[in-house]
Amino acid sequence: MNRKKQIFTPVSEKEVTRAIVDGFARQFIEYVESDCLIIGGGPSGLMVGRDIALKGVKTLIVERNNYIGGGFWIGGYLMNKVTVREPGQKILEELGIPYEKAVKGLYVADGPHACSKLIAAACDAGVKFANMTIFDDVVLREGNRVCGAVVNWTPVNALPREITCVDPIALESKFVVDSTGHDACVVKKLEERGILKTVGFGGMWVEQSEDLVVEHTGEAHPGLIVTGMAVATTYGLPRMGPTFGAMLLSGRRGAQVILQKMKKK
Amino acid sequence: MNDFIHPIPSAIDLYKEGDLNGLNITQLGEYLEEKIHIPFRIRGNIYKRFSKKRIEEVSKELARIKVRDPDKRFVLGIPLPAEIDYEKRRITDPKWKIFGILYEGVLYQKIILDLVFKGRLDFKHCIILFTNQLFGTWDRDNNRYHARVSLYSFPSLISITGLVEAPAKPKEFYLKKQMGTPVEWLKEEYRGRFLDHGDSRMTEVMKGYAMQALLFHLTGDPFCDDRDCRLFNSHWQEEVLHSQMDGQYEFCPIHEAMLKGLRDRSIKGGVR
Repeated sequence: MNRKKQIFTPVSEKEVTRAIVDGFARQFIEYVESDCLIIGGGPSGLMVGRDIALKGVKTLIVERNNYIGGGFWIGGYLMNKVTVREPGQKILEELGIPYEKAVKGLYVADGPHACSKLIAAACDAGVKFANMTIFDDVVLREGNRVCGAVVNWTPVNALPREITCVDPIALESKFVVDSTGHDACVVKKLEERGILKTVGFGGMWVEQSEDLVVEHTGEAHPGLIVTGMAVATTYGLPRMGPTFGAMLLSGRRGAQVILQKMKKK
Repeated sequence: MNDFIHPIPSAIDLYKEGDLNGLNITQLGEYLEEKIHIPFRIRGNIYKRFSKKRIEEVSKELARIKVRDPDKRFVLGIPLPAEIDYEKRRITDPKWKIFGILYEGVLYQKIILDLVFKGRLDFKHCIILFTNQLFGTWDRDNNRYHARVSLYSFPSLISITGLVEAPAKPKEFYLKKQMGTPVEWLKEEYRGRFLDHGDSRMTEVMKGYAMQALLFHLTGDPFCDDRDCRLFNSHWQEEVLHSQMDGQYEFCPIHEAMLKGLRDRSIKGGVR
């Protein structure tokens, strides 16, 4: 009796394990030192990563969740439509994300489609990811220049200390980007150390905050670039509603700042 | 209504700050000149005459006077370098379009006063600055900051952004906004019932505010209680549009007579 041909090549469990460990370890060793370490894999972080990686900048995005994309999967009130205001739709076009016009100056895209395309664009550009990895602290050098980040597994932070006394490890880079959203984790860490002082959110004129976020995107401290909603927290700008144009454009502005600074170095 | 407390100015100096989004300052000047027979001068961007060093100082001062939390009393901030840099880029670009930061109005006015008068107050000219930036003042009645259209003083400040943002829109607008309806959709739904950025009615509406600034200069009292008079102190967008566009007269009989008296005095005094 002829045995039915197997679809998949037989591979033992140990080979699967070796492949995972080896693949992870090789990439991790390579990215212990990078040109740019982006903390936060939401839309602004992905956009920075995609734009700089396209120019050959060695980039690692650290994301505390298993999934990449942050809040870009869904819009307001858990509805999976994301809105961008003019000229944010130009980036949607560039990334091949379909969208439609809602009213003059406002465009709507499908959240899952937009987010997955942006992630794919970052991957295609050469960005690497360390997901389920949480930012713990900054690495500082002469003149308190930010030169990297101390990270740990996300689950370590979620469990009681008695069970998970796991020390973090450090990653080095020429630049660190804080794209951790409202939390502005990296900026807050500098504040904890008395190096930087933030002011938290302003409360009014939401309609205009997108412009302000883009205009304030840049180097907040030597070696530290702040993008996206972390900009609003750092500079006390109004908290924004669920439109993503500023996240994408802020990411692009952050990338421009990094590229310019790397050229000067 | 006070009688004049200051001499009639020899000219009205109109300054600007940022892109005024279609506001025609020359038309405003011509309107004032026609109504009161005092010549006007277009002085352009208020920051253009100052040295690099002075611009640095002013940028730092402006970065310190942001209202961080409208529900709390104002505290002078310690600005981050990027905030000072933002202010510098803003004030050195006469076409700057971006706004949204709420500045402490009284301190903003003080910065402009120091720039214009350099420590020596002068009542010979009525000075008005038209800005695209937003300022507010603390309201003691409800203990919070409110955005304002104008701040009448020496010099007076009038904000085109304040004219859009400060007077309240229809109540339903805010209710729907709270429910998550995008502002762009609401603007379509309530089109015409409030002024928007770049509104073609802006220059016409601003005529009344420019006149209020002049009245303040002369009498210390810029407002009128009559909601049909251009000098009415409107708190709702619908009041703004009514008093400036559809009132039963341009100025109430009392203010009309006052303006006529002013015209006569300007001519006799040889202001023209």
